[in-house]
Amino acid sequence: MLNGLLAVALAAIFPGDTDIPSPTAAVERMTAFQAKLVHTGDGSSIEDCVILVKGGVITQVGANIKVPSGAELIVHDGALSPGLIALQSEDGAVGELNESTRTVMPEAEARYAFNPEHKDFSRALGVGITTLVLAPSPRSLIGGRTAVVKTSGGRVVKPAAQLMLGLSSDALNRNKFPTSYAGAMGELEKQFSNPEGSVSRAAGGSLPVLMDVNDRAETLRAIAFAARFDLKGALYGSYWAEDVVPAIKESGLDVVCTPFNVGEGSRGIRSVVGLSKAGVRIGFGLEAPDRHPESLRFGVALCVRDGLSPSAGMKALTGDAAAIAGVSGRVGRIARGLDADLVLWSADPVALSSTVKAVYIDGKLVHGGNQ
Amino acid sequence: MIPLTEALLAAITASVPAPTLPVAVEATPVAEMSVYADAVYTGAGETIENAMVVIADGKITAITPGAEPGDEDLHVAAITPGMVDLSARIYPDGYSVEETEEVTPWIRVDLSLDPFSRDWDRQLRNGVTSVVASPYDNNCIGGLSVALKTGGSNSIEARTIKSNVALRGAIGSQPSSKNHPAFGRPTDFYSRRPTTRMGVEWTWRKAMYDALQAEGDKERAFDGLPQLLQALNGDLPVFVQAWATQDIRTAVFLKEEMAGEGKPNMQLIIDAGAEAWREIDFLVRTGTAVVLPPYRASGRTTDGAFFAADCAAKLDEAGVPVALSSHNAKAGGETLGQQAAHARRGGLSFDSALAAVTINPARMVGIDDRVGSIEVGKDADLALWNGTPFELTSRVVGVVLDGELVNDPRK
Amino acid sequence: MKNQKLGTLARTAVATCLAATALTAATNAMPFSDGNIVIKAGQVITLDGEPIENGTIVIENGRITAVGKDIKYPWNAEVKEYPNSVAFPGFVEALTNSGMDRANENIDVAAFLNVKDSIDPVSFYFEDSLRSGVTTLNVQQGGSCVVGGMGYIVKPVGMTVEEMTVQPNSGIAMSAAPKSGKSRATQTLALRQTFDDLRRYLEGVVQEKRDGVDLATREALYQGREADEETSKGRPMGGNGWKVSNLEMIPRWEIDEKKAPLLGIVEGKTAVFFYCSTPGDVQTAIRTAKDNGFLNRTVLCLSSGCWKAADLIKQHNIPVILSSVLTHVERDPVTGEEKETFVPAVFQDKGVRFALRSAGTSGKSLWYQAALCVGHGMTREQALAAVTTTAAEITGLSNRVGSLAPGKDGNVVIFSGDPLSVMSNVEQVVVEGNHVYDRSTDVRMRHLETGAQPENTSAEMETGTPHKHDEPEEKDDKEPDEGENEEEKDDDHEGHEDEEN
Repeated sequence: MLNGLLAVALAAIFPGDTDIPSPTAAVERMTAFQAKLVHTGDGSSIEDCVILVKGGVITQVGANIKVPSGAELIVHDGALSPGLIALQSEDGAVGELNESTRTVMPEAEARYAFNPEHKDFSRALGVGITTLVLAPSPRSLIGGRTAVVKTSGGRVVKPAAQLMLGLSSDALNRNKFPTSYAGAMGELEKQFSNPEGSVSRAAGGSLPVLMDVNDRAETLRAIAFAARFDLKGALYGSYWAEDVVPAIKESGLDVVCTPFNVGEGSRGIRSVVGLSKAGVRIGFGLEAPDRHPESLRFGVALCVRDGLSPSAGMKALTGDAAAIAGVSGRVGRIARGLDADLVLWSADPVALSSTVKAVYIDGKLVHGGNQ
Repeated sequence: MIPLTEALLAAITASVPAPTLPVAVEATPVAEMSVYADAVYTGAGETIENAMVVIADGKITAITPGAEPGDEDLHVAAITPGMVDLSARIYPDGYSVEETEEVTPWIRVDLSLDPFSRDWDRQLRNGVTSVVASPYDNNCIGGLSVALKTGGSNSIEARTIKSNVALRGAIGSQPSSKNHPAFGRPTDFYSRRPTTRMGVEWTWRKAMYDALQAEGDKERAFDGLPQLLQALNGDLPVFVQAWATQDIRTAVFLKEEMAGEGKPNMQLIIDAGAEAWREIDFLVRTGTAVVLPPYRASGRTTDGAFFAADCAAKLDEAGVPVALSSHNAKAGGETLGQQAAHARRGGLSFDSALAAVTINPARMVGIDDRVGSIEVGKDADLALWNGTPFELTSRVVGVVLDGELVNDPRK
Repeated sequence: MKNQKLGTLARTAVATCLAATALTAATNAMPFSDGNIVIKAGQVITLDGEPIENGTIVIENGRITAVGKDIKYPWNAEVKEYPNSVAFPGFVEALTNSGMDRANENIDVAAFLNVKDSIDPVSFYFEDSLRSGVTTLNVQQGGSCVVGGMGYIVKPVGMTVEEMTVQPNSGIAMSAAPKSGKSRATQTLALRQTFDDLRRYLEGVVQEKRDGVDLATREALYQGREADEETSKGRPMGGNGWKVSNLEMIPRWEIDEKKAPLLGIVEGKTAVFFYCSTPGDVQTAIRTAKDNGFLNRTVLCLSSGCWKAADLIKQHNIPVILSSVLTHVERDPVTGEEKETFVPAVFQDKGVRFALRSAGTSGKSLWYQAALCVGHGMTREQALAAVTTTAAEITGLSNRVGSLAPGKDGNVVIFSGDPLSVMSNVEQVVVEGNHVYDRSTDVRMRHLETGAQPENTSAEMETGTPHKHDEPEEKDDKEPDEGENEEEKDDDHEGHEDEEN
């Protein structure tokens, strides 16, 4: 009951997808980017492409666009891509996303743990990550709502992007409820059988869920649960997915892949490649700051080396990631009307030899370049 | 599927007058196979020598005596029904019981199971094709058990033979073993009752009386009430772990007490009843069934209970329905088939030993319409042996599960 | 006459001890029959030719004098008739660490010790062995050592070690598996050093003798040793291994008693039971044995994982005694799948001679182990040999035990049926012609079977800690275990054998 009231109250203050005014919106001068190769974020690329940006927004993209006079021209002799998107991170909110005193908090909001000035973000920027999903800890059954934020400028792209559900053993405890999968699933069923607030929106399909799973059994359990309550959204955790790819594909759920480090073994990589080849939409978590932000792109590069197509790898870092987070209308691709979050690379971004030359968020240089 | 095709071809080429001669229709291939054995122990009252079991679409369609196998045919020394273990103890790494409360009748263990655990295959390759999984016995009333096949699809839903086959609980030292008084230690939910056998028994009775009082009174409804009432009304067997004689008595007396409260139909199954041999009169009087723990050479078991070697034989003789269990022996440990061998050594007849690992346990939890014997129309779950079953000199070398040869003895 | 007298003495001894221990099971309660007995059985499985239907076994003075059909026996012989039963040779336990107060010593190199001094004749282990038809046991120190003490082969009958003795000084235990707290490298080094030290010691003694310094004599006298006819002489070093020249200068009694047993090993006089817990240990054991010339006296005592070294063992033609754990379980390090290997079948296929060990006594004794072998595809003959004739051969007793043939010890087990059937029981046991066990008066067996409490005892007699609750198994994706799964803890009678190490 209280939850419901709270939800109504919060909805009144921060209705749905309301944007928070961009502090950079005042920049009116047009900028033109000219790059040798542009990865658009939907899997395709354009050679010798020009991108026009005005007011922090992309206004035009194409190979044969004339750069208007008066526009600032940035010529880049390398690759250009949309800013990378990490689908799970605690950057800037470490220790503030794990509310261990209670396990069901559907109205909790990760964005209130967001500290835009936190130094963690500069590391993310340095590797080309422009958008992050801050997610409540999966150690709660219903941890609350995720927030999609930018790594510079303090913008919250989407305040209540997904509802975080903990279906892995991480949500189970030794000395407090729940101690068992059965208890956890029973509680979740109870919550979703008489839904209120965020849970109600999730059950109706209007709020996607992000379901944390570790092993295969948990994955199948999450799929069955989603089917039962008609949930839309993504699984978070792909290490064991290799063995259950058909079930995941059939479920229609997206997968936020577990990031990995070099030398972690091949299963995680095989799982990602298998999911992608089966046509499952994938993106990547980051688990920063425990993990260095560079591991996002390096993880994808490892997958590409083991059979993931480079274009699928790029999509997982950009356009598909945006779609999974529900922000594809704002970021993730280089297309007219989207935020001008751009990364200039020395070479192909999914090749390990490439480096970040410059990063722009909302058309504004935030890292590298000729500052 | 290759073995099936081979068996199919073999069945045709061997010119066996098969009553249901398989005809392969290309559009809808019928999964059909035959297995030959020197002896088929049907578990339905007869043993047929030199017989062929014919399977189509996962069901047994014929048992043909006098069948002559060809060289290419699947032929073994003996076939028994796939075995059934009610106390298989396939636990999902401890997270199967909701320990925050002592009485959790609504907990469904199937939501906890891991189809990828090695436990399943270990059971399957030893000829156990059906098991009952229950919550771990750290609660007095732990929740609902489920009957499952041990292989096939890796989805728990697909493996389920029947959900909610029993209300699982425990009497003895285990439910209270983690609890402690509040003083002297940091307070957590284990700082509570019961810490004794007396407390465990009190918890059971309280749950039962709460249910009696709440029956028909909406105001007093609580979580788990429907399951408790089902149990009291005899619609859901009460499956209680009780090793020692005192705990077996507690369970039996509870049933009789409930009969006095107008609930005479409660069905009781004792699990791990090592000392059931001491309480035969009570068990007979209350119509209680017993699942026995694995054999121990020293006779010493949990809770100080002494498991006499002739326990199964004594129960069987007195008419107590008895089932055996391997408690999910580790790899290389003693299989359910070997438990039947030990029970025979203790005096149980061959037929009763067969029943104790097949039809008896299937009946106890109401899945005997599908498994537990080799009969036309039942699930094609077979254990294939390289010699006389229930001898240590033979073992299960092949397994058919739902009509599929999941373990080929020829390999 | 002499025999009769001994028999009377034995009877007196038994009677005295019986009085002392009110609750001694049926095992010792049988009157001794002076080693003379005639056994008739419905079937006699001799393991020395075909089984004999309605056969007769004649035992005189503890030895079998005749086995056959319709054979003559003295008119006054005590005749036992078991027309519906099967007579079978007593089982041979090729290696056990039980029946002693403890299986292992703290001392790394303890070759000067003798298990004789630690065998406990009234140990329940021996009683229980007899109950299962085991009539010969090679008692050796456990594998937690570098070099263990001298072993003893006994029968499970008698109130003193002397009475029990079948073969004294049956061999010395050594271990290639690291003693607890040691690494593999230190264990290997310790093995090497043991023999290097011996060599240096012997060379030193010889040198001192040459130099006219006679420390060895003084030391021997100090230790209270005396020369006898045999040891007062020196003789050149024997054996196939390394030699210390001029050893004949040293009378053998002067050699340090801590070193003498090791010299016996190098000279090939003493059998070595070499424990190995991993395939790598097998390599170490073989190298040690080769370097010191006792390869042909070596028996390897293997943990189940050692089946992987079967080819190497075959190549050197070494007999082995297998772990009581017959099935080796390992997890695939990549897929996590369980793989089970039935170990005896591997050695059978490779043509390595092997003996089996019990996995516990009354319940899972040698008959049980042999039955499991048949279940895994071995023939009955192969399986039975591993617990009788081959076991006797490996322990150096093939002329004494393992089969029913004239000249052998009169050890006979009467089974109610096929010895490998789970339905058969050991009904009677005769050891060296004495009827020593009768199941019908075995109160402990009745207790195990029916729960009946032996008279004049209280339930408190049942000792042993209650079992812990069956804990759920560990999660799947843990690191795969290495090596041995633990032996079943369920049957841990007093002094249950340590699993190898």
